[in-house]
Amino acid sequence: MRASFQNRFAPWLMAGLPLLFLMLMLIAPVGRLLLEGAWSKPGDAASLWLAPWQDPYLRWRMLWSALQAAFTCGVVLVVGVPIAWVLARFEFRGRSWVLRALMLPFVVPTLVAAMGVLVLFGPQGWVVQWGGPSLGDTPYLLLYGNVFFNLCVLVRAATEGLEQVSASRMAAARTLGATPWRAFWRVEWPALLPWLMSALCLVFLYCFSGFGLALVLGGQHYATVEVEIYTLVAHELQLAQAGVLALWVLLFTGGLAWTYAWVESRLAGPVRADRIARRRPQTASQWLALAAALVVLVFLCLAPLVAIVMRAAQTGAAGWAVLLNPDTLDAVWNTVRFSASALVLATLLGLVHALAAQRVIWLRTLVFLPFVVSPILVAFGLLLLYPRWTASAPLLIAAYALLAYPFVAKSVAAGLDAMPPHLLAAAKILGANPWRVFWRITFPLLLPALRRGMAFAAATAVGEFAVTLFLSRPEWATLSTLIYEHLGRPGATHHDAALVLSCVLMALALAVFMAIERPSLRSRTDGETYA
Amino acid sequence: MNHGIFSLFRRTHPTLIAAALAVIVSSASLAADKPVELRVLTHSSFAIPKPLLAQFEKEAGVKLRIVKAGDAGEMLNKLILTRAAPIADVVFGIDNALASKALAADILESTSASASQRKSAAPLPAPLVPVDYGYVTVNYDKAWFAKRSIALPKTLDDLAQPAMAKLLVVQNPATSSPGYAFLLATIGAMGEEKAFDWWARMRSGGVKVAKGWSEAYYTNFSRAEGGAYPLVISYATSPAAELFYSKEKITEPPTGSLTLAGGVFRQVEGVALVKGGQSRMAAEKFIDFLRSNAVQQQLQTEMWMYPAEVSVARADVMKFAPEPTKFDTPSEKDIAEKGSAWVARWTKVVLK
Repeated sequence: MRASFQNRFAPWLMAGLPLLFLMLMLIAPVGRLLLEGAWSKPGDAASLWLAPWQDPYLRWRMLWSALQAAFTCGVVLVVGVPIAWVLARFEFRGRSWVLRALMLPFVVPTLVAAMGVLVLFGPQGWVVQWGGPSLGDTPYLLLYGNVFFNLCVLVRAATEGLEQVSASRMAAARTLGATPWRAFWRVEWPALLPWLMSALCLVFLYCFSGFGLALVLGGQHYATVEVEIYTLVAHELQLAQAGVLALWVLLFTGGLAWTYAWVESRLAGPVRADRIARRRPQTASQWLALAAALVVLVFLCLAPLVAIVMRAAQTGAAGWAVLLNPDTLDAVWNTVRFSASALVLATLLGLVHALAAQRVIWLRTLVFLPFVVSPILVAFGLLLLYPRWTASAPLLIAAYALLAYPFVAKSVAAGLDAMPPHLLAAAKILGANPWRVFWRITFPLLLPALRRGMAFAAATAVGEFAVTLFLSRPEWATLSTLIYEHLGRPGATHHDAALVLSCVLMALALAVFMAIERPSLRSRTDGETYA
Repeated sequence: MNHGIFSLFRRTHPTLIAAALAVIVSSASLAADKPVELRVLTHSSFAIPKPLLAQFEKEAGVKLRIVKAGDAGEMLNKLILTRAAPIADVVFGIDNALASKALAADILESTSASASQRKSAAPLPAPLVPVDYGYVTVNYDKAWFAKRSIALPKTLDDLAQPAMAKLLVVQNPATSSPGYAFLLATIGAMGEEKAFDWWARMRSGGVKVAKGWSEAYYTNFSRAEGGAYPLVISYATSPAAELFYSKEKITEPPTGSLTLAGGVFRQVEGVALVKGGQSRMAAEKFIDFLRSNAVQQQLQTEMWMYPAEVSVARADVMKFAPEPTKFDTPSEKDIAEKGSAWVARWTKVVLK
């Protein structure tokens, strides 16, 4: 009796912290803003609600947002799974660095990433100089922008999923005469599916509500519905219309997130803890597969960043002198302390949310809320609800944590789903108390997933997705703000300073990723397993 | 099966909350400020050298709390939204394109700062006190035009020729203040109907639309590595800034500014007291400070605007930024009443 009571109510008690946080940082501010809109625009509610569907322009925006997001999902799936398979099965020098560098697109400010992409594919870019076509002003560039940002999400998740595939099942399949291809479809693919779904859901939501790189590259003709919401709120203060649009979007994306959470809870199954050890490629075709995977990765994810680094290197001593500027040092320090605070908060919230949401579908759905509500609504809502707290550091850090913690929660949830139950049961039968079970079994098994989530959370915090939306103070200038400030002025030295500072930002991010992930990546390269 | 984990966390729950609170409280200490402070709201391009600000703080006996709130339009909307509990005592950066919106929202308060009585090189409706002004114009890449020996456009009509329109990148007026300013100039010069006819021709000619100034200047403009457009909407002072911030010593700016009739907008930026704000005395001192000789001189090469104070000498480099003699602006009343309808119509004509 008592146990079932605990079983039923424990998730709710644990969910208290993330729910309170979501309530204070997202639901209440956005709700307050929507109320403001409802008060300011009395009367004709029906036409307001139908407006997004009656106006062919807005209708196309909604449709286009969904189309390009779906298309991007398709592309990253087709490209990402083979790459992830290679990264999960083969051991090679620098593998852990490839996994870390994959997350750099998340960190670099949008505008800088766009500059890097255009150095390659723009009308005067390297590709054109080598006789290739110019991708400037084509939808391909927009798609490239989406893949550049999102491929890492899928590849990282799929790599981890493939690493969880049971070695003995694979061995059994092969012994029973299954071809590698058949073994993939019958053993690896089903194990991989939950991880893929999770990543694809994130990618879709990101692309759907994204107005970053893809838009800079694709131009204003390809604006997503998010841009409409931004314009309505920030520049026209038409809160009623913006709110209606945002609620339609929320209805769609929220429905999607719920469906996903439901599918996920069905698909999720514990894995055996006998992992397949990675091997160095043996045959020529294996080496070829590895090389192909790396070439595609470099081309899709790293080439624009390499272009930025090369351009920054070419600025010479004069360009790098910006490093000695006291403003730069302040910015590095600010980036470090804000990111660290946001990461601690995000890790805590993510861990608790994931543990609480294990069995509760709507709690699982709620994890996506920070991704599906447009950040401009959150920024204006916070301002309206907490005017006394505007431009205060705790609010800013909480806002960063809000945007970062779903990564931790998603990743840990996936880890929990894959947790082998017999280990926990065995420990309990042998008399371990719940604390001991958690510290000796659950936590160590969760650690790789937690670290992956933390790395993504750190990337969002260091890269400051919403940096331009929230109020800022000059003494808090971070690297991202400093880069945007330089790119707000004409002149070659500003341009060069932005490139150099972007390199600093990338180096800092790599250092952070290393601090978070080094132990986990290394222990696996040593071929250790967790059970 | 998993209820062990749950019951475990039920017990550790208070610990977790305590840890969360510790994080929040420790980060709260980052925000600790001195009690007497002047809250200044500005747009993100605000730039005054730190020593000058420190000197002001010392002389006026206040602590400045400068808050940057996005571009000017976004900043004004944030101010309007929070008027019940104002987030600032004084605001800098409301310009003549936004002035009437600010006045209609009744968020500014009149001031008796001495600067408000003095003559200004460019006017703003009271209670805004002009601080600086500049011109939004078409800029061009000198090398690009020289290399191809293509003649520069002399009128807006030239610019709308298909061969020329496809060389220009403009900012979306819905998301960018220079973009909005340029739209206003065309309407001020030609009237609404003719202006949108002109924009329709620009569209069919292939004008490129970027989100904001930075995107246009650093990704689309042909001086940027990825760019293919040798004409861009920027400021009359941009060529001077290009020279000032060039890598090698050059004697001639690499870009120029075109003063096409109907393609020039004069932007006047001002400072004002916020209604319901505190520290009124300090706020008025700050207004006078922005019009002081030192600030008026420094802002020329920090924010690349011309000083509003008539007697202040021009920075040397400003000789590469001659002031356009003619500019066009719709009436403030029209801007207030029709501004957002114009943006909506522009979106329809150029993007839809």
